[in-house]
Amino acid sequence: MKISRSIEITVGLFVALGLAALLMLAMKVSNLAELSNGGSSYEITARFENIGGLKVRSPVKMGGVRIGRVKAIGYDSQKYQATVHMTIESQYDKIPTDTTFSIFTSGLLGEQYVGLEPGGEETYVKDGDEISIKNTQEALVLEKALGQFLYNKASSGGSESSSGGEKSP
Amino acid sequence: MSRVCIPAGNARGQGWATGGKFLILCRHAQPRSPTASYQSAAPARGVRREPRILSVNVPANIPGDDPLVAIRDLRFSRGDRLILDGIDIDIPRGKITAILGPSGTGKTTLLRMIGAQLYPEAGTVTVDGQNVHKLDRKSLYALRKRMGMLFQAGALLTDIDVFENVAFPLREHTDLPEAMIRNIVLMKLELVGLRGARRLYPRELSGGMARRVALARAIALDPMMIMYDEPFSGQDPISMGILVELIKELNHALGLTSVLVTHDVAETAGIADYMYVLSGSKVIGHGTPDELARDGSAMVKQFLQGLPDGPVAFHYPAEEFTADLIAGSEA
Amino acid sequence: MTDLLAHLGRWSLGFFERLGRGHMFLVSLIAALPQLAVQWRLVVVQIWSTGVQSLSIIVVSGTFVGMVLALQGYNTLVDFGAAESLGIVVAKSLTRELGPVIAALLFAGRAGSALTAEIGFMKATEQLAGMEMMAVDPLRRVVAPRYLGGVIAMPLLATIFTAVGILGGFFTGVGMLGVDDGAFWSQMQASVTLKEDVFNGVIVKSLVFGAVVCWISVFEGYDAVPTSEGVSAATTRTVVHSSLAILGLDFVLTALMFNK
Repeated sequence: MKISRSIEITVGLFVALGLAALLMLAMKVSNLAELSNGGSSYEITARFENIGGLKVRSPVKMGGVRIGRVKAIGYDSQKYQATVHMTIESQYDKIPTDTTFSIFTSGLLGEQYVGLEPGGEETYVKDGDEISIKNTQEALVLEKALGQFLYNKASSGGSESSSGGEKSP
Repeated sequence: MSRVCIPAGNARGQGWATGGKFLILCRHAQPRSPTASYQSAAPARGVRREPRILSVNVPANIPGDDPLVAIRDLRFSRGDRLILDGIDIDIPRGKITAILGPSGTGKTTLLRMIGAQLYPEAGTVTVDGQNVHKLDRKSLYALRKRMGMLFQAGALLTDIDVFENVAFPLREHTDLPEAMIRNIVLMKLELVGLRGARRLYPRELSGGMARRVALARAIALDPMMIMYDEPFSGQDPISMGILVELIKELNHALGLTSVLVTHDVAETAGIADYMYVLSGSKVIGHGTPDELARDGSAMVKQFLQGLPDGPVAFHYPAEEFTADLIAGSEA
Repeated sequence: MTDLLAHLGRWSLGFFERLGRGHMFLVSLIAALPQLAVQWRLVVVQIWSTGVQSLSIIVVSGTFVGMVLALQGYNTLVDFGAAESLGIVVAKSLTRELGPVIAALLFAGRAGSALTAEIGFMKATEQLAGMEMMAVDPLRRVVAPRYLGGVIAMPLLATIFTAVGILGGFFTGVGMLGVDDGAFWSQMQASVTLKEDVFNGVIVKSLVFGAVVCWISVFEGYDAVPTSEGVSAATTRTVVHSSLAILGLDFVLTALMFNK
């Protein structure tokens, strides 16, 4: 059975196009680009009181720039603390040891991320370092914040005006 | 005078003769003469050395007592309808045997039984000594390579041209080099007079031409027999004449055994050596055309002479006509 | 009442008989596949007629589906001030659901129906019977290459559909609606995973859909009543049954893969 060369060529192009689309999905759309970059990175661990909605693969940002990603999340049941393992790209190797690690939310409903505010130390964190709870700031939990706000409001309102509808317990 | 020529000890030749595939190449397109047919084989084109003949399929076509196809007490029904009821037919080697009968009497079914495309309820079909319905798939396919069949509409593959259609069985069953396939295909097309039409597609062919191409394809592998399914139906007189002539010529030139299933009496009687007449799922008469015309029963005569009414009724079985009409007006 | 039961009984007997025949057909079809290794060119021709021929409809539909997704997603997200998440919405819906499902539905309509019609026509014109008499197994020579060609083409088409859909969403979202370029891609990358979304979503789903659609298509063609009406009815059945199978299987696959 003879088949014309043009059919073979177009089928070849078609398969190449399919593979190119797959490559695009892998490199541009999904996270393969970073995974393949995994060799040139280092890992640090930070301890938090509360991580809120932080998830594995959430970004780690410094000055708004993503420098790494959350690799794993654990819980230290002895100290009652959450442990967050992060992978930081090795080009960002100048993170002072007294840097504050906080958990922020981007936008009202946006994703949560670990934000780094650099300190003034001359020594830098290196692979395997652990950031103690002193240098981290827990996530802002909405209910907690609202409760705090209402409590403050109520107590201050009660002292200023006796006609306040609420009574402090 | 068909020969199977397999060049032995030829390094060049072994390349295309591998895989246990047999090749049938050498044919003289000269009148059949049984005495001369075993003496020489011309080397096929493309084969450099004098080929040694390793096997010969000619004996399949020596006229003799033992028929090529023997059908015994064959029974087949479709649903409740009995199509074939205890059919006995012998197809002698090297002859043209016609199976005649009105439309819808299971003639095509019979051909499909011989090719083992259908299986009977009872009875046997023996082709060249083998019961076709007891063969395993491999032996059946090996046997089918030696049987050609010409379907009613030609059954050409519509997505490839005439040349490729004729080359199809060669490409499927042999590893012949391209040049040799070309030669064989052109040879077969020349036989049916359509060498010039080799680049046409089946849709561009008339019905008669399509059948001739199908005929060229059916003989591409040099079979021992060809079965023709209604080769003349729907043909104009000229293409009918061409087909009649071709069937006769091929049978004699290639030493084939031909089985012709048809309802065209006049054309068939001219070329058939022996005829069977089928009606009402039984064989109602058989003999040479002359014998049948002379001694046939009333039914056979009605069919051969094309009388509208007789033992084979004009009317499909129905209740009485007036009763039927009255029933309709009452409803 | 008994008539109704008898009718139901007859219908289900017919259904199971056909289902059984379809499975037996599949078994002999799969048995014929290894022989294609030596006749690879037959498959190439079929990839051409099922895959390359479907490419234009896949690319055009993919682009529009992506564009519409971006438009709708933007209008919803902007109310929550989360327009930057548009990349996630477009990419996740395309990779997990719309890419494989719509590509498969289009494939069933474009290539599946053509497969059925072609094989059915070959049966009606005795081409298949003719092959059998030439000692050529039509299952190996006609059906198996078409099946395999379709099974190979389907994931490629679904991948292309998904990729152009995301590009379409990018052009609408970033080009027309003014979503930030970097946020579009980075949020997408942060949320789409290679294994779960791209591999399980696009590749596995479309492989399963391709295998089922091609099976239905070649079986309907091979099993068609060899007349014009028979072939046209078989073609209709191919499209209907394929679409139902795609949607039903999609639910099952989604439940298996993405259920947390």
